[in-house]
Amino acid sequence: MTRWLLPGFLAVGVIATLVLIVGPALYAVSLSFYEIRSLTSAPEWAGLANYAAVLASGEFWNALWNGIVYAGLAIVLQVVLGIGFALLLNQPFVGRPILRGIAFLPYLLPTVIAVLTFKWMVDGSLGIVTILMDDLGLPPIYWFETETASMVSVILISVWLWTPFVTTTFLAGLQTVPPQLYEAARVDGAGPVRRFFHVTLPSLRPILTVIILLRGVWMFNKFDVIWLTTGGGPLGATEHLPVLSYRMAFTLYDIGSGAAVATLSFFVLMAAVTLYFRFFPIEGGK
Amino acid sequence: MTAQSGSRPLPARIAIYVAALILAVYSAFPIYWMVASSLRPTQEMLVDPTLLPRSLTLDYYYSLLSQTDYPRQFLNSLIVALTTVALTMVLSIMIAYGVTRQRIRGKQMIIAGMLYAYMFPPLLLAIPLYAMFTSVGLDGTLLSLVISHLTITMPLGVWFLWGFFKTMPFELEEAAMVDGCTRLGAFLRVVLPLSVPGLVTVAIFAFLLSWTDYTFALVMITSDANKTVPLGLASMIGAFDLRWGDVMAGSTLIAMPLFAAFVMLSRYFVQGLTAGAVKG
Repeated sequence: MTRWLLPGFLAVGVIATLVLIVGPALYAVSLSFYEIRSLTSAPEWAGLANYAAVLASGEFWNALWNGIVYAGLAIVLQVVLGIGFALLLNQPFVGRPILRGIAFLPYLLPTVIAVLTFKWMVDGSLGIVTILMDDLGLPPIYWFETETASMVSVILISVWLWTPFVTTTFLAGLQTVPPQLYEAARVDGAGPVRRFFHVTLPSLRPILTVIILLRGVWMFNKFDVIWLTTGGGPLGATEHLPVLSYRMAFTLYDIGSGAAVATLSFFVLMAAVTLYFRFFPIEGGK
Repeated sequence: MTAQSGSRPLPARIAIYVAALILAVYSAFPIYWMVASSLRPTQEMLVDPTLLPRSLTLDYYYSLLSQTDYPRQFLNSLIVALTTVALTMVLSIMIAYGVTRQRIRGKQMIIAGMLYAYMFPPLLLAIPLYAMFTSVGLDGTLLSLVISHLTITMPLGVWFLWGFFKTMPFELEEAAMVDGCTRLGAFLRVVLPLSVPGLVTVAIFAFLLSWTDYTFALVMITSDANKTVPLGLASMIGAFDLRWGDVMAGSTLIAMPLFAAFVMLSRYFVQGLTAGAVKG
């Protein structure tokens, strides 16, 4: 019993990893080489035909570009806002513990709820945002009808949902910076702005590197915000790779091409992450 | 920076409170509006709304619970999330402990596999899983949804608990075994009790991931009877007569358990985030 406990645990690990992760991933890659019209008919070997068709279509490149715009802008906004909020929540003021809790709340919500609440708030006739903008004499915004506005909508929802992640992790980092560093900078005559750029940011560079990496990976892979808000529309203006992959596999029933898009998108992400590590090596083991 | 707050000049203090107010409104207003809209009578919604509802009603909750599939969906969500949590705990505790304490080749593969799983596009897992479930006749079941959630929650659990067990000195178990415990006994009586904070964190995040998931449910669940709440709420968006009061009541009901858990266990949420046990 004693001798077999750890090997037994590891065997469970190997089997679970194979069944849940390695197996499906390899299966997805293999599906991308087949022409599959339905799950009941026999798949036909298609070689690289799915990849050729996907790469030759404008849809793929449009989706790749939209994904870069969506993930890029959402990350920049999350990180800037998150750092700002964290700096604020690191100052002493009355009610700070409560505000720290409130600032975390959006992160808990299911995406569906954030999307529904946003849609309700900007509803064309009854939405509170629509009414307030009308009261202020501002022209109405068609949040889901024009290309730019729909991209803005999905980015806004994403930033709102995931800024708390940056706020919380960055705040935890801020609390580890030794106060003596700030004292020394103050003695040297550095103002708040210089203290931020010369003490805070360099001290938190490793944390920030990880935060941006994680957020980047997730925003690039995020499916539900865009699917629920715009479905990729209007006319493909917000369609990114996850939505394209879903649409091919489950609304066009072209599972091979859907798997090909998912595989390509994984390799694009791997390449981006590798490049990121080249520029921002993560020091120490984590 | 935090040391000398008393000496802060007045304008700086005002600026801090203004910024705090902005942060509070930005974070909480949409949530407040969701709750307020679920309690506001319909005739009040049709005129210019006030910040506070002039009168309150539970009509939407009543119609949601008595006339729709919502209770069924809530139960489905609960079954899926609790099963996912239980399986995640068992699997990730065993794997993380094995990986930490056993010296063999190949365990790097498990850890690397877990890391890569973080980077998989959801569809890269959802498409093959759907095909696999179809071929074994599991498609559309709640179990298929639990298994697909495990592809996310198990790597998270292993990754987090691995970091946790690593910091635990082996001498603790040695001492227990010298005192006559078996290896399993030492694990159950010494290691696990000391790991409770880590276990709570993993359970919370596994629950959160499963409870809030829409993507896997969209792919896996095909019948109305097996829909989870996120899927059910999403299908209301396209409905012909969109009843915002019902939608906001349904949203409020599914958010409340999460808020309640956060109020009681916020330290574990923060600990989980900062240690990398996270949901995307």
